[in-house]
Amino acid sequence: MKQRLLYIEDDQEIGQWTSEYLHEKGYEVVWLTSGDQALDAAENSDLVLLDVMLPGLDGFTIGQRLKKEHPHTPILMLSARTAIDDKLYGLQFADDYVTKPFHPDELAARIEVLLRRYEKQEAAITELKHLHVYPGENRIVDTRTNEELVLTGKQYHIFTYMLRHRNQILTKEQIYEGVWGEPYIEGDKTLMVHIRHLREKIESDPSQPGIIETIRGIGYRLKL
Amino acid sequence: MKPRVLFRKSLLVRYMLIVFAALVIWPIIFPLASILYQLTTDYSNEAKLKENIYAGGDRLEKRWHEEAAALKDAKEAAIAQRLRDLKREFPKADLFWVDQTGRTRLMLPERPGIPRQWSAGDSIAFMKQSFNGDPFTAVAFIGQQPEQGFIVIQVPRKLMVSNASFDSAHVFIIVIAVFVLFIASSWWFFYRLRSRLVHLEEAMTSPDRSGIPAPVEVRSSDEIGQLEHAFNRMIGELQQSRQRQREEEDLRKKLIANLSHDLRTPLTTIRGHAHSLQQEPLSDRGMQSLTLIDTKVGDLAQLIDNLLSYTLLSAKKYEFHPERTDILRLVRASAAGWFPVWEKEGFEVNVDLPEHPLIWEVDPQWFARILDNLFQNVLRHAASGRYIGIRTEMRTGREALVIEDRGPGMEAVSQGKGAGIGLTIVALMVQEMRLHWEVASNSGGTITLMYPKN
Repeated sequence: MKQRLLYIEDDQEIGQWTSEYLHEKGYEVVWLTSGDQALDAAENSDLVLLDVMLPGLDGFTIGQRLKKEHPHTPILMLSARTAIDDKLYGLQFADDYVTKPFHPDELAARIEVLLRRYEKQEAAITELKHLHVYPGENRIVDTRTNEELVLTGKQYHIFTYMLRHRNQILTKEQIYEGVWGEPYIEGDKTLMVHIRHLREKIESDPSQPGIIETIRGIGYRLKL
Repeated sequence: MKPRVLFRKSLLVRYMLIVFAALVIWPIIFPLASILYQLTTDYSNEAKLKENIYAGGDRLEKRWHEEAAALKDAKEAAIAQRLRDLKREFPKADLFWVDQTGRTRLMLPERPGIPRQWSAGDSIAFMKQSFNGDPFTAVAFIGQQPEQGFIVIQVPRKLMVSNASFDSAHVFIIVIAVFVLFIASSWWFFYRLRSRLVHLEEAMTSPDRSGIPAPVEVRSSDEIGQLEHAFNRMIGELQQSRQRQREEEDLRKKLIANLSHDLRTPLTTIRGHAHSLQQEPLSDRGMQSLTLIDTKVGDLAQLIDNLLSYTLLSAKKYEFHPERTDILRLVRASAAGWFPVWEKEGFEVNVDLPEHPLIWEVDPQWFARILDNLFQNVLRHAASGRYIGIRTEMRTGREALVIEDRGPGMEAVSQGKGAGIGLTIVALMVQEMRLHWEVASNSGGTITLMYPKN
């Protein structure tokens, strides 16, 4: 089943082009030129792509209403504005932000990340080197032995968090706060220890990790 | 229009009243005081007469004469008995009885100084001594006739009500009282003036969030009341001008946002269509042109962003919220965002940051912007070095953030390449956040160093 994107954009040229582009990428796109119908149209959408500058109600107002009505539908803001306060304001309800002129491939990548984060994507098997991950069943299978990997709760959390943010570099603060849900205390080794144990289970050679990369001085990346 | 101070409400008039009252009170105060004194003593005498049997000489004397009259032609034993009864009634009084022969018959109590046998001289001496003396003395002939002799009652004056007159002690007390009253009322007058002025001063020096003090409540229409009115008018004008300023700011921001939108919308279309063209079969030259178009669209967007940011920043219209921030966290987050680009360009990325937090008082948004601009510059002008180093270093006793590249150096890149505006924005922001920054550049690369001034 195609995923449905609600796209709100007042500029004809950009709207036309982007709709076609996303359609080619395999999405069903509903394009509106104003936000008046947005609330109803968002009903069956998997993601909302929202331009900030709109005639009538502006993008921020619509975004806030959408988030209130449909808290589980991700919102990706498209903006031509640069003032930083606007970004802050937008991000209170928006899940991500792309500045115009956006690169089409970047837009597609962001949409994919958001859809995955909200887990509206069909539970497909993710192949990760020698691992098969079944997200719906919370199962990770080592294809070399065909055995299921047994992870502790935190290890599994870290793994799925990184899988959801695959190919993104995550700082230790991001991972810690995403998994533990509390502020990271600088110098805390807990995360490092957990990742070491996680690697011992999932990597074929934990001393040269191929799944969870260390980006020295910055953080980690799960590369697909 | 400036309202005038009502004459009777003027502070000057009030103070003059106090001084005038202080002068005028002297001729009035003494007669007034003596009248008051008289009234109060009379009143208290009434009360004393009721409860003190010795009080009131007149009453005592009258009583004594009545008693003497009642003893007319009484037997000696009856007289003695009556005197004893009276002694029981007036236990603190001295009583004695002298008969017609001048012999002292009864003394209650027995005391020296009373002759046993009275001569004419004794009588006269006694009368002289007793008249208006202490003790109070009443003498009455028994039965109102000298034939039966006389009886005497003596009461110490201290038991009676004194009819003390208005003396120098009272004068002194009154003078002191008036003086104290004058000082107290002057003090009160100035104390209230002072506290109102202090209140006004506090109101002036405690501005609210907008930096404008709140208006004060005007309770009086005297000179200070007028001052408070003037203060409130000034606050009102300040608030109005602040409001106008805010409106102008909003307008300016809106203008810039619209401008940004208008410039970026066609760029988005160009980029989109360039992307479409890239999907078509093209020659290598065609592909190169498209890649160049795409790069230039990105550069132009960045330039627009910087230009508009610079406009806001130089007009101090950029929101600025400094807070204690772990900048290493910001550096890591920013580097994480840039890493894929560096990776794609084949950079050696050398991030060596300490484990402990590095807390600076900065606006996190601004600091992220600074990092973005610096990283952007490295990518655009120092990509040939294929190296970026991010570390900390001790500089004049402070831990400084260091960003290092191995590009051709600033001299080589600044020629018409538009690196300037990004760095100008960095310079403005760094200055506003009270950070010190140094750039050392030669043909072997550029090192940017940043640390807080204090």
